[in-house]
Amino acid sequence: MSSADLRYPRQTLWADYIRATAGVVLCGAPLVALDVNRWMALLLGAGFLLFVVFLARTALRQRTRYVLAADTLCADGPAGTLVEWNRLDRLKLSYYSTKRDRSDGWMQLAVGSAGGRTIKIDSALEGFYDIVERAAAAAEANKVELGTATRANLKSMGIAVAELEESV
Amino acid sequence: MLQYVVRRLLLMIPTLFVISFLVYFIIDLPPGDCVTSQIDELVARGEPDALKRAEELRHLYGLDHPLMHRYLSWVAGVFRWDFGLSCQDTVPVKDLIGERIALTMIMEAATIAFIWIVSFVIGVYAATHQYKLGDYVASFFGFIGLAVPNFLLALVLLYVGKVYFGLSIGGLMDAQYLEKSMSWDKAVSILQHLIIPVIVIGTSGTAGMIRRLRANLLDELQKQYVVTGRAKGLSEFRLLVKYPLRHAINPFVSDIGHLIPEVISGSVIVSVVLSLPTTGPMLLGALKTQDVNLAATFLLLVAVLTVIGMLVSDLLLAALDPRIRFGAAGEK
Repeated sequence: MSSADLRYPRQTLWADYIRATAGVVLCGAPLVALDVNRWMALLLGAGFLLFVVFLARTALRQRTRYVLAADTLCADGPAGTLVEWNRLDRLKLSYYSTKRDRSDGWMQLAVGSAGGRTIKIDSALEGFYDIVERAAAAAEANKVELGTATRANLKSMGIAVAELEESV
Repeated sequence: MLQYVVRRLLLMIPTLFVISFLVYFIIDLPPGDCVTSQIDELVARGEPDALKRAEELRHLYGLDHPLMHRYLSWVAGVFRWDFGLSCQDTVPVKDLIGERIALTMIMEAATIAFIWIVSFVIGVYAATHQYKLGDYVASFFGFIGLAVPNFLLALVLLYVGKVYFGLSIGGLMDAQYLEKSMSWDKAVSILQHLIIPVIVIGTSGTAGMIRRLRANLLDELQKQYVVTGRAKGLSEFRLLVKYPLRHAINPFVSDIGHLIPEVISGSVIVSVVLSLPTTGPMLLGALKTQDVNLAATFLLLVAVLTVIGMLVSDLLLAALDPRIRFGAAGEK
């Protein structure tokens, strides 16, 4: 298997930049322009910090490329790390949606190998399916215990995990 | 998860602005304003300067400005915890609502805790003892709770308490603590008086929650993995706690957001009946007299609590059960 160079699409990153900026402005503007009550300032300050962290994370994503190889998944960037498939010891696939009917959501994959940091990627990343498929195969080979949510999400992506039944 | 929190917060901020505008606009919509009824009184008494006084009052309350101007200055004031003047006593709204908000929040928190604890215990018992006497008794009281309006239950309890036990169960504290600052004795008195309103307001919520928890848990208990677990020799308690209960309590979490407005709106009439010094009776009075600042402040606070409740429940749900759902397919 040859390695694949994967990045977040430009429009996804721009959407996140817009969200982060909107949040920073909405929480920061009253703090700057108005004489805000102490408790209100605490709330707005917390929101402001959260959106700044999100802005920093988006910038980090823009500068990171993910390399999917036969043996590893490498996050090459300012906070880069490496997951070795044959030492994979954790895999979590979550689904999030902001809608009431839980439609139009996105998946988030968290994988990590023994002794290494966890790599978290969203389904907006190019080649997300290939990474999940590879991670599921590695989890199967390493007999990694998977949660019910992860199994249900893998199944919904058409990835067979029949032999990964969690022991009840 | 960070992405999820950010997106939810970004939805929440404009939602609150829209709610605040709608609330302010709708309360102001009927003809006349809060000065009208006061002037009618002055005219009826034959006051010669009634119209001049009306102009002065309108200027004092800012009613001579256009609606948008009044709304924007009210919203700007919200950030300073200054909600403008109330027409009822010409005092700042924040001075009027202070203790009432605190008492309301204590009462609502106690009611929600009551709903959760009681419905959890009874719901689990009813599901694990399906078609047994306990299940029928729980279901019977559940249906009674759903069918009887809160205010009627309050009236019955008032009557029974007075006639059969000689107790006055109205109010949220003994009379000697009214208008007094908070003390240990006052806190104890509040806690003693909380029991009846909490039971009255919580009963219908408890009934609904018991039915939902029972139905969800019964669904889960009939799934294949439970049968497999039982066949492997897992104890009934461990089998219940490990997965079925975890899945069945999702409605508890997702209902946090719905419970807050339900409990608050359900408690308005009960508060009037039981003479509770909470926000309910004051909100009713403010709506009747078109006291826009006071009514809009109450409703905005309810909206804020609701939106925060929704956010908390969504975040908990996303953390507890981040599964994709296609019409519940693939869950079995």
